[in-house]
Amino acid sequence: MDDASDPRRAADGGNGSSGDFAAQAVQAVTPGSTTAGELNAPLYLAWQLTNECNFACLHCIEQSGPGRAFRDELDDAGVFRVMRQACELEVPYISLSGGEPMLHSRFFDLVEYGAEHGAQLKIETNGQYLTKENCQRLKDAGVRSVQVSMDGASRETFNKMRVRGDFDEVVQGIRNIAEAGVPLEINYSPTKFNTHEVGQAVDLAYELGAQSFITGKTMYTGNAVKTWHMLVPSEEQYREYFMTLRAKKAWYVFDMNVHFHEMGLLNEMRERLENPAALLIVLPNGLVKLINALPFVCGDLRTESLEQVWGNFQRAWKDPRVANFVAELENDPGKTAELHKWIYV
Amino acid sequence: MKLAQYVKFRQEKFGGVLFETRSEKVFALNPTAAAVVREIQAGTPESEIPGRLKASYADGDGDGAQIEADATAFTRQLREQGLVEED
Repeated sequence: MDDASDPRRAADGGNGSSGDFAAQAVQAVTPGSTTAGELNAPLYLAWQLTNECNFACLHCIEQSGPGRAFRDELDDAGVFRVMRQACELEVPYISLSGGEPMLHSRFFDLVEYGAEHGAQLKIETNGQYLTKENCQRLKDAGVRSVQVSMDGASRETFNKMRVRGDFDEVVQGIRNIAEAGVPLEINYSPTKFNTHEVGQAVDLAYELGAQSFITGKTMYTGNAVKTWHMLVPSEEQYREYFMTLRAKKAWYVFDMNVHFHEMGLLNEMRERLENPAALLIVLPNGLVKLINALPFVCGDLRTESLEQVWGNFQRAWKDPRVANFVAELENDPGKTAELHKWIYV
Repeated sequence: MKLAQYVKFRQEKFGGVLFETRSEKVFALNPTAAAVVREIQAGTPESEIPGRLKASYADGDGDGAQIEADATAFTRQLREQGLVEED
């Protein structure tokens, strides 16, 4: 037995504080505040399976849409290699998103493979393909949760935001997933034309059976760069938005988790620089980003193993270009428009 | 007792991590705590875990009682945090 696994070190707290073990043995932190450098592997893979999407949302940070799949997306062998490596490294939590992940030709095979091999899977979908049959299949696979974007409490608002999407069909999909018994999360992106509906949307999410309602500030990147004038809420709208959310959080405190980030992107980036999350962003072509809100790429899963990329990730956060980019964001918040011009670190 | 449905454990150099994937909370475990979780995963009855750790790791210089107490306290914490459930 090596020293690191010798529980006697814990009995004295690992730092000579025998007797207060119980107070320090279980220390809850978020993945965002986990010190990634101490971990053998990531805790979380946020994997964008494809950039193809049946919707063309005004604010999409990935610029996804019909015909927008990357030309070099991972092939079947590639996606299963990544999933296998993630399971072998015991990555506990994997989200599959896109684009629309359910459009990927091997979506269900991947979900079933990952779940069978111990990963807890979250599916982030626009909800259009949540038929009763598909929902049952997700339930049978043991999917941990399904997150559906519902940025409005009315057809008019939702359809304006989610171009090619249909509110009624998405709500039906949400009902289907809830009826199947898969934990449901609702995601809401604020814009100048939907902030006033957030209270109703929280209520609707609860009525539909959601366990969580998640929102934050909409990012100036991707499609939003072109549509920002149509999207960006005023400071007053944001103030009322978060005030409503605080009230709803209190109202649903025992029934549904209302989770929102008031912190702007810059503050979040500063925090991440100090303490990178144990989270890898995997793009459809296998490139791995440090974090969605930065343009830095730290690996390529077509040519490197996940384990190698994890090593790269930890070094890359210390690259001065990353800190410089965050510092420049202070003076020029518009730099987030460049997030799709990848910089290899 | 077993780990709750949405809880995953992974051994780490410093001990281990429990990841509660519903709340997305991570619990960093020191080596004793990680050893307790391994016993839970192995199906060891809760009442036997402190004794097993004591037998495995106490070195006769008086820390056995401490290990037993730590393990008992930790299993209580796991239950309070909803990280374990009954079989």
